[in-house]
Amino acid sequence: MERLIQCIADNVVSPLGLDSVSNYESVKAGRSGLKRYESMGNVHTPFTLSRIDRQVVDDACSRIGLADGRYTFFEKMLLLSSVQAVRDAGIDASSDKVLFVVSTTKGNVSLLGDPAGFPSERVLLGKAARQITDFFGNPNSPLVVCNACISGVCAQIEAMRALKSGRYDYAVVMGADEQSPFIISGFLSFKAISDDFCRPFDKDRRGLNLGECAATVVLKAADSVPDDCWELVTGAIRNDANHISGPSRTGEGSYLALMETLRCCRPEDLAFVNVHGTATAYNDEMESIAIYRAGLIDVPVTGLKGYYGHTMGAAGIMESILSMYAVRDHTVLATRGFAVQGTTYPVSVSPELRVTDGRQFIKLLSGFGGCNAALLYRLNGKW
Amino acid sequence: MGQLDYVILESDRAVVSGRVLEHESSGNAMLAELYRAHIADWPKFFKMDTLSKVGFVASELLLKQLSERRCGSEEYISNRAIVLFGTTASLCADKNYQETIQDIDNYYPSPALFVYTLPNIVTGEIAIRNHYRGETSFYVVEGADAAQMAFHLSCAFADDRTESVLAGWVDSTGNDDFKSFFTLIGKDDVEGLEDKIKTILNKTNI
Amino acid sequence: MEEMILKLKQEIIEVLNLEDVQPSDIDNDAPLFGEGLGLDSIDALELIVLMEKNYGIKLQDPAKGKEIFKSVNVMADYIQKNRTK
Repeated sequence: MERLIQCIADNVVSPLGLDSVSNYESVKAGRSGLKRYESMGNVHTPFTLSRIDRQVVDDACSRIGLADGRYTFFEKMLLLSSVQAVRDAGIDASSDKVLFVVSTTKGNVSLLGDPAGFPSERVLLGKAARQITDFFGNPNSPLVVCNACISGVCAQIEAMRALKSGRYDYAVVMGADEQSPFIISGFLSFKAISDDFCRPFDKDRRGLNLGECAATVVLKAADSVPDDCWELVTGAIRNDANHISGPSRTGEGSYLALMETLRCCRPEDLAFVNVHGTATAYNDEMESIAIYRAGLIDVPVTGLKGYYGHTMGAAGIMESILSMYAVRDHTVLATRGFAVQGTTYPVSVSPELRVTDGRQFIKLLSGFGGCNAALLYRLNGKW
Repeated sequence: MGQLDYVILESDRAVVSGRVLEHESSGNAMLAELYRAHIADWPKFFKMDTLSKVGFVASELLLKQLSERRCGSEEYISNRAIVLFGTTASLCADKNYQETIQDIDNYYPSPALFVYTLPNIVTGEIAIRNHYRGETSFYVVEGADAAQMAFHLSCAFADDRTESVLAGWVDSTGNDDFKSFFTLIGKDDVEGLEDKIKTILNKTNI
Repeated sequence: MEEMILKLKQEIIEVLNLEDVQPSDIDNDAPLFGEGLGLDSIDALELIVLMEKNYGIKLQDPAKGKEIFKSVNVMADYIQKNRTK
């Protein structure tokens, strides 16, 4: 019998809160973590960013007994999130039946500019991930998924496959990125950053905001998923084969990934599609094309970048978690920053909260390297 | 259970399924030399970072080696996945980019360098060249472990559109320092995959 | 101006890694983008960096690059008029 995949615990650490519930309530109330900054390090161009207060993280870390000075900020974010999720899941994370998967784009890259007393090998993502598995006493070699902005969805897909194979019973899937001058200067050089709040899918969108977040889901392999529990049903990763930084003009990879998830659900059963919605001119246009081509133009679309910015390695996980809370709450979250339709195909996006009775959602992402990914979650049973 | 065809591409060595390719240079110059001798029709090669150049040349050499024997339908080719592993990921590109922002008096962040600070760009370069629209993934691991690689490569076939995977290991620690191997895996190759990968790994300096 | 155009061509070839392209291969009036050199959006962004680094010209709006990078002649002319170093 094929094993099914259940999501049994989750956590989000962000400027809006240190657990999933407070994050969901903040977003539902319309609060955003975004703030304008005039500079950071050598970066002297204004930008808008959702940044986690270092003191808040340090205080929370000392409450859970993390030794001071031993972990980088990136590792602290991951630990803070995963410790809470693992505790809520009630699993023995030191078992060899538990796989750890880390999603990040740049990990400890800020150590290149300022080593801060850490050994240079810590910029290696495998070494950073090992800090996490060592903390939990897990004997398995951690897997780091480094697929640009789609990493968080890819990490869940790979964890799902690893669990279905029978080798593992649980997977702790976490994602995070620290926003440093390295990443901010890079996106600025791409002229992709807005100094104002981002406006996903709006006609006046002028670029993205970056953000910091850590998020964790604990997945379990099971013979069945009980009613009112979350099942990770399917997911797919597809490439545009078009350009290493520009999205495809036909939304090819995103469309193909969407079509794969639609083999497991009908459009009318979807509560919404939670899109990437970075608020760059090209990304949102491309997503609207892919959604139209996939026959989902009437399905509610919602994006979270107006609350969190683009949280990179965390995005696929945090945005999946917020979507789960929204479905349970019969809610399609408002797309903060959106006002006037601004894509060729008019997707169903709204600046207001909407009501839904759907019990499934698709999480969609696209990234540099031409990669795209889609994931389908289902809340089992009926209302 | 046949062995897999492979390409090994290291700083001063290029081997295609046991056959050593001749070259006069080493490091980045060797990559350009191999490109000119065996590929030559993709000028974007010269814009790539070392990680992508290695992946591009190695995959081209492998596909050239296989072209007579493993032709497939357009759909078979289009659905091909690319799954790569490494320990140092984009570290070499990261350091090159960091240099463009480190000094406030010489602060000119380079978009062409920044884009390569994502290790999965090499999978994108190969996908573009070959029109592969399947899955592309880059996994960073602590070290080259045949069992771990074989496990995650066989997982790639859980996507039932995936019938073949262009797989490999690629690390670049400096502009002239790199280690890699590439191979092509079909569904039939999954059985005993760990041993097949071990056989290739043993021939490398990874 | 001739000297300036030659220097600019050499700079473009260098920063865009146009291997096997000589300055004489680039027509002064031919479009830099669209055909010929096979340049893309990242190259356009890199030309913006070149203008700032070598000539002290800050271009905030990348859309403006489209006009400036029409040809080497247009680009050289723009640099002459706006350079701060």
